[in-house]
Amino acid sequence: MKTQAIYDQNPEATDLLSRTWRSPPGFFGWFTHVNQSRIGYRFIVTSVIFFALAGVLALVMRLQLISPENTLLGADFYNQLFTMHGTTMMFFFAVPAMEGLGIYLVPLMIGTRDMSFPRLNAFGYYVYLIAGISLYVALFMGMAPAAGWFSYVPLANIAFSPGKGMDLWTTMITFIEISALAAAVELIVTILKQRAPGMTLNRMPLFVWSILVMSFMILFAMPTVMAGSVLLALDRAFDMQFFVAAGGGDALLWQHLFWFFGHPEVYIIMVPALGIVSTVITTFTQKPVFGYTALVLSLVATGFVSFGLWVHHMFTTGLPHLGLSFFTAASAMIAIPSGIQIFCWIASLWGARIRFATPMLFVLGFFAIFVIGGLTGVMVASIPFDSQVHDSYFVVAHFHYVLIGGAVFPFFAGLYYWYPKMTGRLMSERLGRWSFALIFAGTNLTFFPMHQLGLQGMPRRVYTYLSDMGWGELNFAITIAAFILAIGFLLTLINAVVSRTRGVAAGNNPWQAETLEWATTSPPQNYNFRHLPIVHSRTPLWDEPDSSHRQVVAGLRADRRELLITTLLEAKPQSVLIMPHPSVWPFLLALAVGFGFLGFMFQPLLFVAGFALSFFMIVGWLWPRKPWLDTGET
Amino acid sequence: MRQKNRNSASFISTARRAWPDGCALTACCLWSGVTEAQRSASQSALQPASTQAQGIELLWWIMLWSGVVIFLAVMALLIWALWSGRQRESPLSLTASKNLVLTAGVAIPALTLVILVGGSLFLGRSVASAPPPDAMQVRITGWMWWWEIEYLDSAGNITATTANEMHVPVGRPVAVELASGDVIHSFWVPQLQGKTDMVPGKVNSSWFVATEAGEYRGQCAEFCGLQHALMAFVVVARPEAEFDAWLAHQAEPAAAPVTAATQQGRDVFEQSCGHCHRVRGTDATGNIGPDLTHIASRRTLAAATLVNNRGHLAGWIGDPQRIKPGNAMPRSLLTPQELHNLLTYLETLE
Amino acid sequence: MCPAETTRLNFAVDATHFSRFHSGSDAPIWWGIIGLILIEMSVVAAFVISYFYLVMINPSWPPIGHPASELLWPTASVVILLMSCVTMYLASKAINRDRITAFVTHTSISVVLACAVLVIRWQQFQTFDFRWDEHVYGSLVWTISGFHFLHVVSAAIGTAVVATLGALKFFNSKQRIAIVVDTMYWNFVGLAWIPFYLVLYIVPRLT
Ligand code: HEA
Ligand code: HEA
Ligand code: HEC
Ligand code: CUA
Ligand SMILES: [Cu+2]
Repeated sequence: MKTQAIYDQNPEATDLLSRTWRSPPGFFGWFTHVNQSRIGYRFIVTSVIFFALAGVLALVMRLQLISPENTLLGADFYNQLFTMHGTTMMFFFAVPAMEGLGIYLVPLMIGTRDMSFPRLNAFGYYVYLIAGISLYVALFMGMAPAAGWFSYVPLANIAFSPGKGMDLWTTMITFIEISALAAAVELIVTILKQRAPGMTLNRMPLFVWSILVMSFMILFAMPTVMAGSVLLALDRAFDMQFFVAAGGGDALLWQHLFWFFGHPEVYIIMVPALGIVSTVITTFTQKPVFGYTALVLSLVATGFVSFGLWVHHMFTTGLPHLGLSFFTAASAMIAIPSGIQIFCWIASLWGARIRFATPMLFVLGFFAIFVIGGLTGVMVASIPFDSQVHDSYFVVAHFHYVLIGGAVFPFFAGLYYWYPKMTGRLMSERLGRWSFALIFAGTNLTFFPMHQLGLQGMPRRVYTYLSDMGWGELNFAITIAAFILAIGFLLTLINAVVSRTRGVAAGNNPWQAETLEWATTSPPQNYNFRHLPIVHSRTPLWDEPDSSHRQVVAGLRADRRELLITTLLEAKPQSVLIMPHPSVWPFLLALAVGFGFLGFMFQPLLFVAGFALSFFMIVGWLWPRKPWLDTGET
Repeated sequence: MRQKNRNSASFISTARRAWPDGCALTACCLWSGVTEAQRSASQSALQPASTQAQGIELLWWIMLWSGVVIFLAVMALLIWALWSGRQRESPLSLTASKNLVLTAGVAIPALTLVILVGGSLFLGRSVASAPPPDAMQVRITGWMWWWEIEYLDSAGNITATTANEMHVPVGRPVAVELASGDVIHSFWVPQLQGKTDMVPGKVNSSWFVATEAGEYRGQCAEFCGLQHALMAFVVVARPEAEFDAWLAHQAEPAAAPVTAATQQGRDVFEQSCGHCHRVRGTDATGNIGPDLTHIASRRTLAAATLVNNRGHLAGWIGDPQRIKPGNAMPRSLLTPQELHNLLTYLETLE
Repeated sequence: MCPAETTRLNFAVDATHFSRFHSGSDAPIWWGIIGLILIEMSVVAAFVISYFYLVMINPSWPPIGHPASELLWPTASVVILLMSCVTMYLASKAINRDRITAFVTHTSISVVLACAVLVIRWQQFQTFDFRWDEHVYGSLVWTISGFHFLHVVSAAIGTAVVATLGALKFFNSKQRIAIVVDTMYWNFVGLAWIPFYLVLYIVPRLT
């Protein structure tokens, strides 16, 4: 024990460890990276880029709607724009952004060195990237999908959308789901099996809980939309009849399949955001959040109930009223876990000495905006009322309030909060405050009037409207406001880019937070922690501010990638896991899968070729390593 | 009644201004939006003209005000919470926190929700119930991007066919049967009734009782492709006697042309347009486009996109693709003389 | 890091002698495969539920003119797949006792059984008297059959690779996690045929 300990602290051992965990440099090296911090970072940056792209599409859309009978854009291009805006925001921004935070932060928060399946992680990223790039290439070629983000059939079927755009949509949705599923499995296993010794389930940070719940929701929700989009692809490619009424199929089947995923999807986006809110509140009040158990149970309850709500998106399809009522009740029920969380946070804020830094401001903004969106959500859950506002701008207002309030605000709070951890520098507070003010005002100015428009009868997804409808002035105001909002977002993006080089050095723990990610350097080393930490409470860093007194793990080898496996509930140390090296196989596999799926759009047989290619890549990837075999030790 | 609508409309703007985040600018633009809506009285769910739409409007006001109260209460609590720590730390005790969460986070919401769900189920039952047996039957089929409207007699036979314009008697229930010929559309006349989708392979239904004579605009609410934005129609509610006369007239075949110009116009129509459009009483029997037997009696053209007058009609026939790009009607290659005769003929189709 | 400081580090757990090999539920990959199986089960469930949904909205099932398929060969597939699960089980037993030859034999038998199923299924595809684009019944039967066919192919190839690696002495009683997870996946693929068998071959006889 003694000698081992001394070896562990030896600077040479530290060097060796650093080399062991290093990601290969250079352009070609880039394609082999597997470390969770690299992949998580990529997820975050890429998703923010998609956010900016989709935001710009929204601005172009707003320009078209600025006045009645505007001829800036054609109908077809407008339809592509909102389809791409919705698809990008939901699939390529919101979910990957949350996954990215999870991938980056979870291993740090639970005190381990990497995720369970680093190569799968990398694979998930490339698949995501390929899917996103393909869609945007299509958009620039003017052949993007144009049937809305939920692609209702028969419109999305081959008879009414003959182009390649829809094929691309079904394929890329399958793709992005593969990526999300990979991340979900990965996060679940990492959280369950790699927590620091002593981090029992009920000592897990709330953010980690929220990521766990999100991952389980992904696991059960995404397969249905994958199945659905495969069926749609088969309908399109082989004239199958799943959604064709004349052939015994049914158009509503698609809606069931889509929304059975689509509703949980919106909570998949929101649940991690709630985790961020809890984290930020804890840190900026400098005391544990009130109602840890209640918060965890609310997250879990939200996850469960969200699978019983999907039909509230189908209230006007003519299903029997009695059956629909169940979904009204369930939708209303979900307000209760939300309410519990809101009031737990208010109780935590009560009388605390709060530091009003930018992350905290975004959290306060979240309160106002999310509650408005939640309340309109409860309103649209009422069947008669929804029959008026469904598919109108009222719903557009509802979901931007919840999505921006419930996901983008917390995400930005998280960005400001963890930026110093990821880059070693703080973001500018001044710019941050300006950005917050503009975003807060901009969101309300842009989306609040949409409630009114919806009640005045403006349907969504219209590329134009007649001048005697009387919607012109509100739309004009909305468009102006959208630009205010955009400037707000732009300021944060500028802030993030500029602070990379100009920001104030952060140190390990600039916010005096309590969770483990702040115990290591900013940015973390390749190996995350020089010695894996051991925890005894929910607030390890507050218990023992002096890092040299904290208990740590000894005995992990420095010459190969090793990390500790602990038990599921109690997090008792169990065994050591040897992790794979950087590898190019995940990238090649993603290419092969991409080839198969994209090829399928043009020639179904290419799918088989892709399948065969993938097989080689998988074998290459999983080939057992001889050295591991040779070290014949216990 | 008009007066009442106006009241409710300004009511909303006051209500809206009460939302604390609706800062001055929002309130201003909301205000202007409202006045605008009053002028054209077009498609607003807040100016109901049927029993059904009125019920829903009432529900909305109740929900809006409960929403405002809840929102203000939550914000007040939040601000109080933030305020109370300004001087020195004074956190809530554990019991106080628990009580806060249990009352404000569980009990009050649960109660509100029970009331809300109960209320909307009750209302929903009456809105969605089966129409009374004496209701007038109308079958509406959605096409990309126009509406086919067929009146049925009590035996279910078609008595009259029209398009993009529906007339209903005031005070008598109207039951609509909703179908689709291609993709999903949604039948929505906000002033009369909430929307119901038209799903291929399925026949949905809805009903309403118009309580006031007037014209109400409806618009397709489910995204149905390129020209979803320009798929609207007009509902004209009028006293029963006027309505009956209208219906009897619509059931008649087209007037036979009397002048030479209109006769030539009819020939042009039969030749160039007849395989898509029908004019009952002529050789034009197409069923790809709207029935034009009484086109001159209609208020609008091309699914309520244009006001029906000679100029617009000429423009539409000359180049429908400029007005509604992508719609199924091709440009026609007619000589000016032919066009002239055609228009003159169409104008006689009262 | 100066030596004086380092000695103060508080090492409370020493992992030096912890096992580096995992064969059961302490291995992350074991959980990973459980995750994969859960995902696939959700897909299977989505197919089966869609099937019943379509049965419900269609007045006659199978559509008139298409009698339900005969049972013999599909039932044989069920039996063979169940047998292959047994041989896979025996293979795992063998590797637990470091009996490489027995291991290779049993995995090879499993692969052969899977191939037999593939041949039977292929034969069945020829005998379907309906096309996939005629009616949703045909679409379902072809899609579900195809879906399962692809899975049997992947499981067979995967296990063939495992058998080869076994023959090359890559595995022993300690290093056998690859076999554990391959077996788990195999069992999933084998058992997934049962619900499919029920909906494709039994349900049409009941409606
Ligand atoms: C992050 C995303 C998110 C979130 C969190 C929510 C939250 C909710 N949503 Fe929303 N929703 C969307 C994203 C989201 N939604 C999207 C994207 C769509 C449209 C998709 C499309 O058509 O394109 C949609 C559409 C949508 C519809 C369909 C509308 C239609 O198409 O006609 C419905 C209907 O029931 C609905 C309901 C709800 C409800 C009841 C909640 C609840 O969870 C809200 C709960 C929260 C609160 C209620 C506030 C906090 C609670 C309190 C302060 C306690 C006191 C409260 C009371 C007493 C009520 N949503
Ligand atoms: C997380 C989800 C999310 C977010 C954040 C947003 C953000 C915005 N959305 Fe949207 N939206 C959806 C999800 C989202 N949306 C969905 C799901 C739909 C439904 C689609 C469908 O019907 O199918 C929809 C639909 C939708 C519509 C309705 C279209 C229609 O029905 O016809 C409108 C109209 O105004 C709109 C507007 C906006 C605006 C102005 C923003 C603004 O908040 C955007 C502001 C952000 C930016 C402007 C980017 C900031 C960055 C920069 C400015 C940097 C500049 C970049 C460079 C220099 C490179 N959105
Ligand atoms: C290929 C089929 C086709 C031909 C040929 C055709 N039309 Fe049409 N027409 C349509 C369709 C489809 C519509 C509905 C368009 C829409 O609103 O989306 C329409 C709409 C109209 C309308 C508006 C009807 C209403 O109620 O709004 C008029 C008037 C009309 N056509 C006249 C004509 C005349 C006159 C001709 C011949 C010169 C003609 N059409 C030739 C298919 C056709
Ligand atoms: Cu028809 Cu939209
Ligand atoms: Cu929902």
